[in-house]
This record gives sequence, C-alpha cells and structure tokens, in this order.
Amino acid sequence: MQEPVSGPAVPIGAGEVALSIEAIRKAYGATVAVENAAMTLMAGEVHALLGENGAGKSTLVKILSGVVRPDAGGMVLKGRPYAPSSISAARAEGVATAFQELSLLPNLSVAENLLLPRLPKGVAGMTSAAGTWQAGADILARYGLDHIDPGAALESLPLADRQRIEIVRAFVNARHVLVLDEPTAALADTQWLFDHVRAATAKGMAVLYISHRLSEVRALCSRATVLRNGRSIATVELSAATDGDIFEMMVGRRGHAARRAAASTAATLNAPVVLAVSGMAGDTLKDVSFELRKGEILGIAALEGQGQRELFRTLAGLRQPASGTISVDGVAQALRGPSHALRVGGGIAYLPEERKTEGILSGLSAASNIVLPILPAVSKAGLVSGRNERAASEEHAQRVEMSQRYLSFPIGDLSGGNQQKALLARVMATGAQTLLLFDPTRGVDVGTKQSIYAAISNFAEQGGSVLFYSSELPEIVQLAHRCMVLYGGRIFSEFTGEDIDEQALVAALIGHGGAERRASAGVH
Amino acid sequence: MASLTHSTPHRMRRAQPMKLLTSGAGIVFVLYVLLYAIYAFLQPSALSSSTFTNLVNNSVPLAIAAAGETLVVLSRGFDLSVAGVISLTNVLMAVYPQEGPFGALVSLTICLAVGGIVGAVNGWLVAILRLQAIAATLATMIVCQGLALVILDAPGGMVADWVSYELTDRLFGVLPISGLFVLAVVLAWLVFKRTNLGLGLYAVGADEQAASLSGISVIKVRFAAFVGAGMIYGLAGFMLSAQTATGNPNSGTPFLMLAFAAVALGGTSLSGGRGGLIGSILGAATLMLLQKVLFSGGVSSFYTGIFQGVVLVLAIVFGSAFARLTGRRTAA
Repeated sequence: MQEPVSGPAVPIGAGEVALSIEAIRKAYGATVAVENAAMTLMAGEVHALLGENGAGKSTLVKILSGVVRPDAGGMVLKGRPYAPSSISAARAEGVATAFQELSLLPNLSVAENLLLPRLPKGVAGMTSAAGTWQAGADILARYGLDHIDPGAALESLPLADRQRIEIVRAFVNARHVLVLDEPTAALADTQWLFDHVRAATAKGMAVLYISHRLSEVRALCSRATVLRNGRSIATVELSAATDGDIFEMMVGRRGHAARRAAASTAATLNAPVVLAVSGMAGDTLKDVSFELRKGEILGIAALEGQGQRELFRTLAGLRQPASGTISVDGVAQALRGPSHALRVGGGIAYLPEERKTEGILSGLSAASNIVLPILPAVSKAGLVSGRNERAASEEHAQRVEMSQRYLSFPIGDLSGGNQQKALLARVMATGAQTLLLFDPTRGVDVGTKQSIYAAISNFAEQGGSVLFYSSELPEIVQLAHRCMVLYGGRIFSEFTGEDIDEQALVAALIGHGGAERRASAGVH
Repeated sequence: MASLTHSTPHRMRRAQPMKLLTSGAGIVFVLYVLLYAIYAFLQPSALSSSTFTNLVNNSVPLAIAAAGETLVVLSRGFDLSVAGVISLTNVLMAVYPQEGPFGALVSLTICLAVGGIVGAVNGWLVAILRLQAIAATLATMIVCQGLALVILDAPGGMVADWVSYELTDRLFGVLPISGLFVLAVVLAWLVFKRTNLGLGLYAVGADEQAASLSGISVIKVRFAAFVGAGMIYGLAGFMLSAQTATGNPNSGTPFLMLAFAAVALGGTSLSGGRGGLIGSILGAATLMLLQKVLFSGGVSSFYTGIFQGVVLVLAIVFGSAFARLTGRRTAA
C-alpha cells in the first residue's frame, strides 16, 4: 500500500496506513494546481503538509475533502478506493476538514453550524430547536468550549471562537482522517488545539496538519510532506530535518531570519514624530499613549482580543475613541474615516485584518485592486486608462515582489499570498507616509512573508512609518525597531531594538505571567 | 481536558422580547397596529367584521405573492416571474372557469402546477445552468406575460362563481376565508423552516460557498426555493382571481414591485440569509392598509405610491437604527 517516497528515506512508524494518495493531478483550465502529489498518512500520526502558497496545498485539501475531483491519480482510505464526490461523501467515509477560509454561516447559530447539514429531528420530522441546542452544547462541552453559547449567532463570536467552531466541526465529522488547514491562523493560544489533536491521534485518527508556522509543526507533527509547484518533493521525519532543510525544500533557496531592523533602530529614535496617540480610551482600550516616528517600524504584540483591533480601527478612522487625542504630524485630528485618514498630514493607510471581506474586491483584476486608491492619477479626462493602470500597478507590484503575470487575473483567483501582496501594494500606492498593517502575513507562506518583510523594511528606509500588529512573535523580533505589548487594552510594556526578544515578549503577553493561559503565538 | 460541565437548558429559552421587536417582522407588526388605529380613528367602521374582511381580501394576493418571493430572496436570489405567474394563472381562471367546490379544487391544482412548472424552469436556469437570477426570471416573466396575452388578449372572462363568492366570504360570519389561505401558507412555512431544506435556505443565502462546504446541496436548495415560490405565486393568482372575478393579462404587473417592497418592509434582507416569510406577509398587509388609510383620510389615490415608498424607507431606517441601539451588532 505504501508507495516509495522520494527524498530522505523515511522509517514508517508502527500503525496501519489510514490514507494514501498517489499521482494526484488537478488542473483548472491551463493552470496546473497539482501536478503530481503523493503521500501516506498513518493512523495515529500528525502529518504536516508544507509548501508555499500556490504550491497546491489548498487544492490537495479540496481533493481530500471531496470539494473537487482530481483529473488523475487515486486515493486509498483504509484499504478501500476513496474518490469522494462531495463534502458529504467524504464525511461519510470519515474524512473531514477544517478549512482555512472558515466555512461557517454567520446568520445561523453555533449549534446549527456544528450540526449542518442535518439537524436533530423532533416532532413529525421537523428539526428540534431544543435537540439542536442540546446536541450543540454536548459537542461544545466535549471540546472544552463551554463558554460559547450554542444558541448564539455565529457572527456574534470573536474570530478565534469561530475558528474553534470550524475545527470542532471537523473533529466531530472525522473518523479516520482529519485535515486541518491553517487551523491556528486566528488562534493566539494553540494549546487547546494541540490537546485535542493529540487525543484524537491517540485513538488512531490520522491528522493532516497544514500550517505556515514551523514551530507549531515541530511541536505537533512527526512527519512532513513538502509540496512545491504542485509536486510532492519529499516526506521527511521532522526530528531529522532542520528548519533550513525544510525551507530549502519548500522554496528551493535558503532563508535568512536575522533581524533586519537592528542597524536602523538608533536612527529612528530621534526622528520627528509623525503619529502621536495620547490617552486614547474607549471600548477595550484604556489610556493608550505612544508615538510613532518617521522611518520607524513599530510592532504591536498581543494575545487575541487585547484591544489591538480597536486600536488599529480607531487610527484608521473606522471608529471614534471615547477620549484621547490623535496627532498627525503634530496636529490634533479627529479621524472621520479611512479616506479622511489618508488625507491628514502625510496620510495614514490601513491594511485590514480580513483579507476576504475587508480587503479584496474579488471580481476585479489584481491590477485594478492595486490602483483603486489612485484612480484619479491613472485616469485621463475622468476615464480610467488601461495602460496607465497597468503601468501604475506594475510599479507598485514590484515594491512587494509580486509577479507581473498575476496582475491581469481576477484577484479572487489568486492565492492568499498574492492577494496579500496586492493589498500591501494598494496601501503603499496610496502614497500615505504611515501604514497601519494588521497581521500583514496572516496565512501566507514563507516566501511571501519574506517579500512582505522586505517591502515593509524598504518603505521604512525611505522615510515611511509603519505600525503593525502580528500574531507571530518571530516576525516582530525580525522586523520591528520598537515593540509594544498590549494587554487588557493597555500598553503593558515596551521593548526597543535588541531588547525585543521572544522570551521577554512572551512573559509580557500574558501580563505578569499570573494567568494560566500559556502564550503561544509561534513559540514553543 | 474537555471539562464536562452540565449544560444549562434554561439558556435555550431565553425570553427575547427585544430580539422579537428588533426583528423585521416585529417592527412591521407594530407599524400595522398603529396604522390600523389611525384607520379606525378616521373611519369607525374599520372595526367591523365586513370592513376587516374586505381589507383582508384585498391584501391576500399581495401577501401570498410576497411570501413566495421571500423564499427566493432568502436564498439570495430575485424572482421577477411573480408577475408572469399571477397574470397567467389569472387568465386561466377567467378563461377556463371550473364550477363548484370540486371545480375550485381543480383550478387551484392547475394554478399550483403552472406556478410550480415556471418555478422549476427558473430553478433549472438559475440553480443548474447558473444564469443570473434577475435575467433568467425576467425571461420567464416575459414568456408568462406573453402566454397570458395569447390566452386572453384583453381584460375579460369570468371566474367561476363558487370561487369568487365563497373565497371572499366569511367563515361563521367573522373569519375571512381568504385569510385562511394565508394562514395555510404560514403554517407550511413554519414546518418548512424546521426542515434541513429550510435551514439550507438561510445558509445558502448567507454564504453559498460556506454552505456547500458545510455539506449543503446548494443546487437542491436553490431549485426548491424557486419551485416553492412558483407554486405560491400560483396560489396568489388563484386568490387574485377570486377577488377580481375576472381576467386581465396584465393583472400580475403591479405585484412585481409591491412584492419586493413587502419583502423589504417585512425585514427580509434583499442580500439573502436574513428575515422570514411572516414579515413579508405583514409587510404586504401594511402596504394595502396604507392605501385604505390614505383613502379614508381623503388623500387622493395618486399619492399612494409616494406614501408607500416613504413608509418603506422609514421602516428600513427605523429597523436598522433600532437594531443598532439594542446592540444587535456583530462583533467587529
């Protein structure tokens, strides 16, 4: 049943094969998403699937979950041919997936979301509200999520809880194989997930784990299969492979994660202040004061829901602070909205958190998405000039190392990494001197991350200022001149230059370390 | 690790008067009661059973048409064929009258079947061939209007006496019979809402992609919505014929815009996934009551449209403002 894997020889552990896939191929029109993918999942193992965005991971996940059917190749589940024609068919065979772009319905209750598409029946075959509620409550209790009301509308939950619901639903539906696609993108605390994954594997479940966070992968997985350009390059024993090895297999070149920012930190400390926040309060924020200087990259580290979202949305003009002042270039401003924020002083541009709903306009081309804020500049006599649009978008795409061949595609068809690059190009195209970047590398691959880091650093070197929040501490360590830790809506502590250190940040993230919550964001 | 605490079933039945009030149906109900009070003030006979029956009879065709439209709107679609189906079934009723109660049953079956067939065509075009709903149903509406003209080229014909008398009468001297048909639609909806298909309607309307990843058959849900809606339009045409007792190949046209107005007034989101059929029925009733109120207040009927439009905007503005005040916002 086990096909030979290329690359380093892998000692297959004890246990039977849960799922093997062989020579899978899938093309969308002329674009080959998966060229030749093969791998073997053992029962009871957590197997990582690694690869850059566009490597074919998402397509492979869709094939495993029955969303799309492969053009060629075959799969064997528990010794029987496996070719699901739909999500339901895959579930019936015991394969379930927690999707990266959550597949939940905002207008339905938590319990209904957990139980879709079939709810418990009561009188006369009608769905029973009480039965649904109870079944939902039972599932939540089983996964330690008692704090969530099964009757609550899904949209009333914070993003992290929505992600947990997506994960729990996959757990409930999986019998043999569980696929987790970027399950921690919105989770600051991964312990809960890890505990349940380990409990499931202890009972013989095979878990395919897809994450861009290598530290998580190392903490949880035993083996990893690397995909590159739609081909499975190798399956490796993680204990025997260094980060460098894996990185090289993924991108074909060695990465360098040294601090870029170190040299220029001192220079920014005395630069003029471009954005000053004083005594800002409202909703979760309490007395937040700080200054952002010209050419400075200021990182914000925080666990989920410590006020970072409110802070960014306030600075973008999307919400009004209850008290406090915001000064731009030394002038106090009441920001009335994002377009007003763009016009005050040197301008403030905001890269929002939710790429799919707040960022991209999926029907438009990547080029149009990029030049959106500067349409007047690319227009002739009020009409948008295709040539100007193309030229302007090429210029800005270059700043984020986005390949020009993607510019003419509808942005919705691009990979998450390229969408994010286009959005970053868009905020840079505004010409704003201050960028607010909310988790700019959420759910993107390592290669794209490096491009985004480079673009941010270049922007700062040319005199721009950047305030960014990241859920990944290594990113802050690598990129920020200065870092503030938000905790409970306050600025809990601040680190400068070489003092920005993961260990120190972790301690600050959880307040005085008194809480039992373990900080995690990429650290283990 | 999973701490097994006892769940608390009492949370399930939280009293939700606020939620009910902020729902579209709640607001339009309050609006209806207010309007009726004004109506009673302007015209004391408004509280008599015969006036009420009259009002109900007038409102029923639009209420049922709006109920059908709601099914499609909830699934994030538009269905313009409502006008065509009503015209077509109306001329069928007027040109081929079937006498007696049994004849009425035959007519009703024909109306439902015609509506169901048109709905199935819509469903095929939209759900399976994936045409845009507005374009596809515009086409079926035009075809139906054309068919109606072929069957009856000018207003005329006679609807069966039994239908036009009995269905506009009162049961036990108080209960408008036509209202019972609306009640039947409401009951059918309450049952349907609690089926997997009914929940699927809300799911598909909110996010088609997520619904399909949740295991819902989007095609099945869409198709069912159109077929159900078509049959309900057929019923609306049947009830309209009972009202007018005659045929008119253009009788469905006014229903097109008013049905959407009633849906919106009833708190159903035109972008899908939110709202319900009862709100639309109340919305339709409110629009018709408004006509009566204006008439009894001595306002020329030329102004009716202006008032209906203003009330629609106010209801939507008030509804969303009220929802915001009571904090029914989503987590940012």
